[in-house]
Amino acid sequence: MKRSWWKGLVVPAALIVAAEIAMRLSNTTSMSLAAPSDILAALLRALFDGSMLVATRDTLASAGAGLLLGGLLGLLLGMIFGLIPIVNRLMEVTVEAIRPIPSVAVLPIAMLVFGFGYSMEIAIVAFSCLWPVMILTRAAMAGIEPRLIEVARALRLSTTQRIAKIVLPAALPRIMVAVRLAAAIALVVAVTVEIAANPLGLGYGILVAQQGLQPDLMLAYLVWIGVVGWSLNATLAFAEKRLFGRAAQVEAAGA
Amino acid sequence: MTTIWKTALGAALMLTALSSAGWAQTAVNVGCTATTDCASAAVALEEGIFKKNGLDVTMTLIGLNSNIPAALLSDSIQIGGPTPSVFLQAVDGGLDLVAVAGASSTAKATFDTAGVVAAPSANIKSPEDFVGKKVGAPGIGAFLQVLFSKWLIDSGVDPKQVNFVEVTFPTMNDTLKSGAVDAVVTAEPMMSRIIASGTGEVAGYFLEKLPERRPAIFYASTREWADANPEAVQAFRTSIEEAAKIVNDNPEKGRQAIANFTKIPLDVLSKMKLSVSDPKIEQEQLDWWVATMNEQSMLQGEPDTATLIQK
Repeated sequence: MKRSWWKGLVVPAALIVAAEIAMRLSNTTSMSLAAPSDILAALLRALFDGSMLVATRDTLASAGAGLLLGGLLGLLLGMIFGLIPIVNRLMEVTVEAIRPIPSVAVLPIAMLVFGFGYSMEIAIVAFSCLWPVMILTRAAMAGIEPRLIEVARALRLSTTQRIAKIVLPAALPRIMVAVRLAAAIALVVAVTVEIAANPLGLGYGILVAQQGLQPDLMLAYLVWIGVVGWSLNATLAFAEKRLFGRAAQVEAAGA
Repeated sequence: MTTIWKTALGAALMLTALSSAGWAQTAVNVGCTATTDCASAAVALEEGIFKKNGLDVTMTLIGLNSNIPAALLSDSIQIGGPTPSVFLQAVDGGLDLVAVAGASSTAKATFDTAGVVAAPSANIKSPEDFVGKKVGAPGIGAFLQVLFSKWLIDSGVDPKQVNFVEVTFPTMNDTLKSGAVDAVVTAEPMMSRIIASGTGEVAGYFLEKLPERRPAIFYASTREWADANPEAVQAFRTSIEEAAKIVNDNPEKGRQAIANFTKIPLDVLSKMKLSVSDPKIEQEQLDWWVATMNEQSMLQGEPDTATLIQK
């Protein structure tokens, strides 16, 4: 297995070489395509002059803050809805009416309220991350072994004690799945907001490069966003494994 | 993991605080799209004219012109460069915006900087040939498409019989080549590249027969900001007037400033004409645009143009 790890790279490498040859041979004047070597050169240039790192920081800060905010709100709402059935029934119509709104559709409103900058992006990212976390948390609450709740009652634990000692630990694996889902959404939404309106971060970098007629730089940003997304997911998966051990893993696989 | 998030949130909050502290009082953030129309503002910034007149100006590149009214209203930018169609539709929709100075306008010298370019296979020779064809435009209801439609109307063709689709400037050459559209409504620097690569030929210069001095972009702000900052408005006008002269007399300076602002490579800009900078904006010019837009049923009400230019 270990000795043949490179086999997976054969197809992508062949495709890149083919693209390079095609671009060189066709001598194209395209303003939306560039040869892989030019893209790599543009990527290195943007990394070394710091512009891409600043953009990465801006995007990750917004996506991270939005994820944190939306995640916490989602967790809180999910717990309330999951633990108090009457609230859940009362809020069902409201939640189901707001939830399907595409996050990008709230952009014009967010722009009027917050203006350009981090707050607008954080608000939209939080809006998109709230729902998956809320729904998975609510489901996790419903999935808690009833006997555990009975134990809590027999021990006469207070509400806070019950949440901290029984509910959260029991629901944690599913909540972790929700956070990983939401993290992927956060990055997508952050970049989308930047391309559509917000003048900062990686998405704005794509836009400026596109409008500045620099397809090599535009595609370099695209490649870099892929790298960032992949690393983010790998980091989260690693953190999950290290922090929660096998319990989270097994449940996650089953969920 | 929580530490990372805390750091991220902390950094985000700190930067938000820093950036909002940067917009104090006479600081003006000017928002424009990546065209040569805001050359006067770019030159005024580059040459220190704004600074000389007591304005602390920054410029922000805006992706879509139609985002400018919302950016003005949220105070993210204090002055923006909308096209007349975006401005009038925003006003028509109830946003309280005013024009503060002119940016660029049509001129005999620059009619050939925009045009409709058709694929040779589409066999489009005259305005009538556009009926039933698929035409790509950078924005439906945006400057170029409105004036192209006006050209069709003036030639006796109903623009409703043309299928318009949105195609961004950088993808126009590829889209036209692939046959996805029969023609594109385009402008420099894309236009000469499309022609040079043999993908298409000019099927009409729709700016050619327009009267002179029809605004393409002008500087606008919210009425609230303009009323609250009369000195800043005056200083802005003085600066733009001085810079417009530089752009028109010394285009190289305009190109350099535009290259710095938009990041369009200088060798691309060096081959193209800059739009004529025109620092004045008058009611009659807005009236012409209202009439043009009414011809295409783009407005709901009748904007009171007398109140739309800051005194």
